[in-house]
Amino acid sequence: MTNMNKTASSMTANSATAPNRHESGEIRLVDIAKKFGNTYAVQNINLTIPHGSYCCLLGPSGCGKTTILRMIAGHETPSSGEIYIGDQMVVGKTPVERGTAMMFQSYALFPHLTILDNVAFYLKMRSVGKDERRQKAEEMLRRVQLHHLRDRMPAQLSGGQQQRVALARSLITNPRVLLLDEPLSALDEFLRLKMRGELKSLQNELGITFVHVTHTQPEAIALADMVVVMDTGRIDQADSAKVIFNSPKTPYVARFMGGQNVLTGNVEKASSGTVRIVTAGGATFEAASGEAKATPGQPLSIAVRRDRIKLRRRSADQKSAAVNEISGVVESTEYQGSYVKVTLDLGGDVFVANVSDADYFAEPVDRGDAVTASWLKADVHTLSKVDTGAAGDPYANSSH
Amino acid sequence: MASTSNSSKSPLLMTYLQVTPLTVVLVFFFLIPVALVVAVSFFRYQMLVGLVPDFTFKNYYDLLSNPTTWTLYLSTLKFTLIVLAITFVLGFWIAYFLVFHVRNLLVAIGLFLVCTVPFWTSNIIRMISWRPVLGKEGLINSALLKIGAIDQPIEWLLYSDFSVVVAYVHLFTLFMIVPIFNSMARIDKSLLEAAVDAGATRWGVVWNVVLPLSKTGIALGALFVVTLVMGDFFVVTVMSGGLSGSVTSGIFNDLQFLNYPRAAANAVILLIIVLLIAAAIFRLVDVRKELVR
Amino acid sequence: MSASPSYGSRPWTFYVLATLFALFVIFLYGPMIGVLILSFQGPSASLVFPLREPSVMWFDELFNPRRTGDVVGAFYRSLPLAAFVMVLTVLISVTAGFAFRRRFKGATAIFYTAIASLIVPGLVLSIGILVTFRYLGLTANWYTSGLGAHLSWALPFGLLIMFAVLGRLNPSYEEAAYDLGATKWKTVKEVVVPIVFPGMIAVALFGFTLSYDEFPRSWLTIGSKNSLPLEIWTMTTNVTSPALYALGTVTTVVSFIVIAIALSSIFLIQRKRS
Repeated sequence: MTNMNKTASSMTANSATAPNRHESGEIRLVDIAKKFGNTYAVQNINLTIPHGSYCCLLGPSGCGKTTILRMIAGHETPSSGEIYIGDQMVVGKTPVERGTAMMFQSYALFPHLTILDNVAFYLKMRSVGKDERRQKAEEMLRRVQLHHLRDRMPAQLSGGQQQRVALARSLITNPRVLLLDEPLSALDEFLRLKMRGELKSLQNELGITFVHVTHTQPEAIALADMVVVMDTGRIDQADSAKVIFNSPKTPYVARFMGGQNVLTGNVEKASSGTVRIVTAGGATFEAASGEAKATPGQPLSIAVRRDRIKLRRRSADQKSAAVNEISGVVESTEYQGSYVKVTLDLGGDVFVANVSDADYFAEPVDRGDAVTASWLKADVHTLSKVDTGAAGDPYANSSH
Repeated sequence: MASTSNSSKSPLLMTYLQVTPLTVVLVFFFLIPVALVVAVSFFRYQMLVGLVPDFTFKNYYDLLSNPTTWTLYLSTLKFTLIVLAITFVLGFWIAYFLVFHVRNLLVAIGLFLVCTVPFWTSNIIRMISWRPVLGKEGLINSALLKIGAIDQPIEWLLYSDFSVVVAYVHLFTLFMIVPIFNSMARIDKSLLEAAVDAGATRWGVVWNVVLPLSKTGIALGALFVVTLVMGDFFVVTVMSGGLSGSVTSGIFNDLQFLNYPRAAANAVILLIIVLLIAAAIFRLVDVRKELVR
Repeated sequence: MSASPSYGSRPWTFYVLATLFALFVIFLYGPMIGVLILSFQGPSASLVFPLREPSVMWFDELFNPRRTGDVVGAFYRSLPLAAFVMVLTVLISVTAGFAFRRRFKGATAIFYTAIASLIVPGLVLSIGILVTFRYLGLTANWYTSGLGAHLSWALPFGLLIMFAVLGRLNPSYEEAAYDLGATKWKTVKEVVVPIVFPGMIAVALFGFTLSYDEFPRSWLTIGSKNSLPLEIWTMTTNVTSPALYALGTVTTVVSFIVIAIALSSIFLIQRKRS
């Protein structure tokens, strides 16, 4: 396997001579809804993806992220709403008119065509002469370093090679938007990490818009300028990876991104930018009130980052009274290399602390130990929605 | 053909036992009979005595030097090509409709079954059922007379080449639909989208993706249709009213006179032609891969 | 495939092909329905439409052998023959299907022989079997030469269906059963047969109907007494009354009952599993 960075730079260098479309690759979805039968796959989708950005649509399977991608690609027509690419309303247009190219999850390489003919397919459809399209396709294959395999059939290639061919086949159309449907899911862990890096640098070099559908949080965080977290058919939050990870807006996003504990209580007091809540179990937390509307007596949810939690042992009968502390019993410990994931049982609810290995081994805790978890007010932020429990959320306890 | 891993525990003997009944039937009711047909084709025919063992090419010489044989072969070939063309076009587009246009899988399977059910009913009845439709006083003629499109009943609707082709298409189209449907159903839908993505028109998708990927199904369907039409005697006899003949009607006539050697020689020629066509089709596409997969 | 400019509507090709499909279905079933109706023709004995004074007299006629030949006898030969062929086809093609899951010497030869048996013209085979029986000094009979001729046609179909069914049978099911302590025979009985059962029904359907309707292969092999299709064939030349249509209706109804039983049991099994 060779590095695609070189590849990418040579692509841009050469694309100046190609009939490139320098139109904007900004994507705007306005009030999109898609119905299959009587159920909405997605609803109320409003989203703007800036030109030249790397956008990840993130969510569990069945949340509608692939439907959105396919509507942008033109393989699915929205039931209502408008899709703009650049200034062009593209609903009803063909993919080539849109200037999009899609890389399919299964790569969708034509099994009856050689690698070269696969890459040349677009040119063939445009009635480019045989010699010219052969030459251009060979050039493209050389750029993804697969020229030596040009006469093979797709089934004879490894997964990583097939993906490169799929990429070459997409890029030969000179798209302003590249759409990737779970492009890394068919690869093994090692190749996945490698290709992840190559995709990112390819996008940097080409400067076109990438929209990448994934269900893997680290993939989204590592790649995206913009992460769009989706719940069942809705967009929960669209922000930069940093914001999504550090300041999730809803309990769902907080749980799905995995780095946070969600706690809920009733507002006791809200003043001078600080809100104080009390849980049903009697624990008291404080947080900067942020955007949340804090009305005394109303319930409010907060999120605390797992890696900012300090643990200390306590005797079983001792109840903690201090602010920003909670008591529980260690349910399990999982060694993760640089840190230890300690799961606490708060009397029904689950609470996770990721303790650095140095701290953990300085004062190890074990299953059944009574501990107190504490954190700083600065590591807490309020959520705009009240947690209605993790029921039905398959990622509630995920450990990413 | 995948081999199971615990198969190593059972002796190969078991496998041979399992395949024995099939082999026995094929040997006794296919290989030996066909071999005997070949043998008898070199025998001599003697009036009143019947078969006389011999090794003579006379039967073949008689047949090949007789212009009737050539006429019959040409006529059969003509029907084969016409029926092949019609059943292919019908079969391809019907399978295409079921696989790529019907969105609900259950509906597609239901419609597919609608196409296949007549396969399990009697061919002769289906053939005869054209009489009240195409006949002189049949539905089509009386309807056309009633609306005044014609003054005289159209004669060539029944007992003609036309009615023979109608019956063949009626009987054999599903031999095209089923294998083509099977091939198409295996095509990954994202391949079609990838083609659209690359700027293919609707027709471009059919020509560049669907057609080449249905190749094995088409070949299999063609194999069935060709062999069925080439080997047919009954449809052509009933539907042409005895006006047209086929290769097998030659065989049939010889059988009536108990001239088994010449019938056998004719059968061998037919068999060779059919096997050559089959071999050509097998060469063109790996049908076995399609069947066994 | 969305080249359509509007929201989610079907492309025009859908309507063209749907029309083609509808016409094809009419083409397929229309004449059969016509025969069904005309079998209730009245005493005018007209072989064409319109239907005058509908009656069931031609069904009565059918069972009156003076006029139409031995229809009842033909039924009593064709039905058991079809049943025999069905049972043997299921047994033989299922066992052979399992054999073909392993590599063995001669597999390719047997496979191509089966395919050749499928495509050899029926009349050619008919001659061959007749000659074979004559040389062996045997008389052609529906339950000997006729049965063999039908098997040579039904078995390749059964084998192909079993290939399709067993191709989808993941060997890990058997391995799992083996892991859980099942013997080879128990594995077949408890795991394999239930999984391939719908496929076996399909094989049975082919076995029955292919034999029940088979004509060219029966021609010389059925012996002195006709099977039903041969009886119908004889009638087409010498019976010029709607009794022919009545017979057509009766055989078609029998076929449809068999098809309905087979398809609905497959459907029921599949639904129970999903």
